[in-house]
Amino acid sequence: MLKDFITTLTSQIFSLMLIGFVSSSACFAEVKEKFIRETIASATVAATPDEQREIILTLKLKPTPEAVTWFEKWKSGEIFLHDDGAGVITPVVLTGTADGDDSFATAKLSDGTPCLSADGKVVRINPKTVDFAETDSGLRRAMKEVSDLVALADPDLTNRLRAIKESAIGQKIEKLPVLQLLRTKEKNAAAIRALDETIAIIQLRSTDPAERVAACRKLGEIQSLSAYDTVKTILAESKAKGDKPMVDAAGEALKSIDSHISRINAAGTAFRGLSLGSVLLVVAIGLAITFGLMGVINMAHGEFIAVGAYTTYVIQNFFANGLKLSPFGVSMSLPGLHLTHGADSYFIVALPASFLIAALVGVALERSVIQFLYKRPLESLLATWGISLVMQQILKFIFGSNNVQVSSPAWLSGSWTINDVQFVWNRVFVIGFAVVIIVITWLVLNKTSLGLLIRAVMQNRNMAACMGVRTERVNTMTFGFGCGLAGLAGAFLSQMANVGPSMGQLYIVDSFMTVVVGGVGNIMGTVISALGIGMSDQTFQQYLGNPVIGKILVLGAIILFLQWRPAGLFVTRSRSLD
Amino acid sequence: MNKQPITSRVHLPILIATAIILLVVVPVLHRCGIISDFTLGNWGKYLCYGILAISIDLLWGYTGLLCLGQALFFTLGGYMMGMYLMRSIGGKAMPTFLSMRGFTEWPSFFLPFSSFPFAMLMMVVVPGLLALGFGFLAFRSRIKGVYFSILTQALTYGAALLFFRNEMLMGGNNGFTDFRTLLGFDLRDIGTKRSLYIATALLLIGVVALCKWLTGSRFGLIQRAIRDSENRVLFSGYATANYKLFVFVISAVIASFAGALFVPQVGIINPSEMDTSKSLEAVVWVALGGRGTIIGPVLGAISVNALKSWASSGATADFWPMILGGSFVLVVLFMPKGIVGLPAQIQGVLARLKKKKEEEEIPAISEKSPATDP
Repeated sequence: MLKDFITTLTSQIFSLMLIGFVSSSACFAEVKEKFIRETIASATVAATPDEQREIILTLKLKPTPEAVTWFEKWKSGEIFLHDDGAGVITPVVLTGTADGDDSFATAKLSDGTPCLSADGKVVRINPKTVDFAETDSGLRRAMKEVSDLVALADPDLTNRLRAIKESAIGQKIEKLPVLQLLRTKEKNAAAIRALDETIAIIQLRSTDPAERVAACRKLGEIQSLSAYDTVKTILAESKAKGDKPMVDAAGEALKSIDSHISRINAAGTAFRGLSLGSVLLVVAIGLAITFGLMGVINMAHGEFIAVGAYTTYVIQNFFANGLKLSPFGVSMSLPGLHLTHGADSYFIVALPASFLIAALVGVALERSVIQFLYKRPLESLLATWGISLVMQQILKFIFGSNNVQVSSPAWLSGSWTINDVQFVWNRVFVIGFAVVIIVITWLVLNKTSLGLLIRAVMQNRNMAACMGVRTERVNTMTFGFGCGLAGLAGAFLSQMANVGPSMGQLYIVDSFMTVVVGGVGNIMGTVISALGIGMSDQTFQQYLGNPVIGKILVLGAIILFLQWRPAGLFVTRSRSLD
Repeated sequence: MNKQPITSRVHLPILIATAIILLVVVPVLHRCGIISDFTLGNWGKYLCYGILAISIDLLWGYTGLLCLGQALFFTLGGYMMGMYLMRSIGGKAMPTFLSMRGFTEWPSFFLPFSSFPFAMLMMVVVPGLLALGFGFLAFRSRIKGVYFSILTQALTYGAALLFFRNEMLMGGNNGFTDFRTLLGFDLRDIGTKRSLYIATALLLIGVVALCKWLTGSRFGLIQRAIRDSENRVLFSGYATANYKLFVFVISAVIASFAGALFVPQVGIINPSEMDTSKSLEAVVWVALGGRGTIIGPVLGAISVNALKSWASSGATADFWPMILGGSFVLVVLFMPKGIVGLPAQIQGVLARLKKKKEEEEIPAISEKSPATDP
């Protein structure tokens, strides 16, 4: 009986498949669904587990998502076996809602029509008393095989790609026919490439030597990264066996993949160097103003970064569920707006807010301490270091000494992969962010009246004062602007680094280095030196495989560089000596 | 920058009296049981810090070079002593940081450290050479002022990164600890501790004497001239770079010896000692005590550290960084000459007040006299 059933099924399937390839209109979809329901219905009532499994496996020839939905229902016990008392068992599903005795109306699994008893009434069953169709491990394995195939044909590209890549695991020859069939149907270029790759990887285990060699060549040609280890194994095996053509093919394939890897690494290094350079630029640009233009050694620069980061943290919580703080033992509670899209939109508010808060703190600091120290740069270094200690401690008192959690908006997470090179979104964003900050700074300094005053005061304070410029006010504004930029950097760093009271300490040495190498008093120099330091750091790291040694080499290179250009890349020319 | 040389206002008799107290009275009182072991140990540490502070003052107060890498030389000296102490632990077993990396025998560079004279030589050579090399590069290209500070800070930062690595075979994160004997004496023995204290006091007095002599000589004059106007000195035909280099090397070696004496007294040396904040903290002592004087830095180091021991335990522990940072800001703003300069400053303020009062009184007597310039 089973044999007959399978033969009819198979013929039906092939005709269906042919139709399916030609078109997939609604009419055929119906036919398809009916066929699946019938198949599963027959499987549930098959006599032995083996028969059940064989029927399920016939679905492999026409994998559809509907089959997977039915499998899930079956596994979770939603298919019931209705016995009409005369020995005929019908698989049914429940429909509608429960009545007084917890019974449900039923529908036949095979076609979805109501299940009628001999007297023409709809059969009602109580799910607690009627048996449901059970599954054993063998059956579940068979279902898994079908589901895998369904995933291979998943309309969603990412799922499909993942399924294709996964099917290469284990190099099972029996998967080949399906994959090759899919290959003929596939239209998406990425999926075609993945299929080619997977087919070739599996063919490496083919019994036909010519096919093996061809597969190897193919893998070299498409420079498959995922095949690298497999090809290596094959090379070792073929060497042991003395299979000359295979050794050659595998060797060539490895060479080709190797060159691809080194290209990817170079591109990745360049990208990481660029983004690290941008991070350096973002953290150093504020210092380029306060130190470079004004000559104030602001050791508390890092703490202004922390102020910006904590502002972002507070804004984030303000948009979500509020925040409880207990600064100096006083418990405070900030109400939240409970916005549903708060997680995505808070950052747009946090950016200007962190600039403003950090700028305000900077203005307060300038008025209270820095203004007395313009003529004593070394002492401004010491005083601002003292301030940095105090600020760290205040942050600790308000927010606690542990790191706080700042979540990234959805549009900042994720990545692009272009030709196997990964571009992480927030790294791409930091590059753009750095460009925007530079443009803003340049505009402020060169196109606004404040910028004109800043430049005038920095070039010659006395002369500017004689011309009626209120130099004290310009100093305050400039310092505030520099600190605001540091706050902006903090808002950004909160997205990619830990936010804690001492976070600023990590950046202080790097920021000073960047400004010193760039040449004091020159924004362009800072840009070039940040990118240069970022690039060389990542390059050293890539080729030495050791971040610390790379960093030390960069520091050494900077010291040697300053031998060559003691005043940095761009020197502000002046006739004054001291 | 202050154009007048800041001369020490502490006179010789007071200095000698202090030396006798530190060198004789304190150990005797300890012997009699009046001063506890704990206090003696603390004072040993303070005196080490005092030596470190003098080395900074020699550079900053007298030559105008603010070095933020003094903790590096201090730690290097400590590591040299640490290597000797590690070698003198004895026994067949390798320390964990070596056995963990598969060493069954000491790496070759450790071997000569079993001799104390060699270790002492290294305390001079290693920091001295580093200072010589770095100073040569820095002063040759006339890196000065803030740039020098930032570069020395970067140097220290780089060295700390290096010492934190286990591959360096210098104990990595944990550094050297569990020392047993020094020159055959048990380090846990109270007599050894007292001797170490006396050695520290002796070194301090020696360094004070050396610096007094050096700064009082012709050399010290040029040193201060460089501080006040390097270009004028340069144009007068002096090779300022060589003078600066010499001071830099001397102060590195002094700091190194301070570190070497520090290690057996605290019983541990690790890379956190060369953290950038440690150098800055030492600079605070100098500023607080009074830079440009010999005794000021020692006073600053002892008072800040005594205050720290007192404040960083118990309820005030959380506030310690604020006290330190806040007092620093206040000192920079209001006490540019530090504790040592305070009496003169108060005198000055009093004199001004008096003068003002007199001036106010004078017009009352004769309305016609013109107001004098304040």
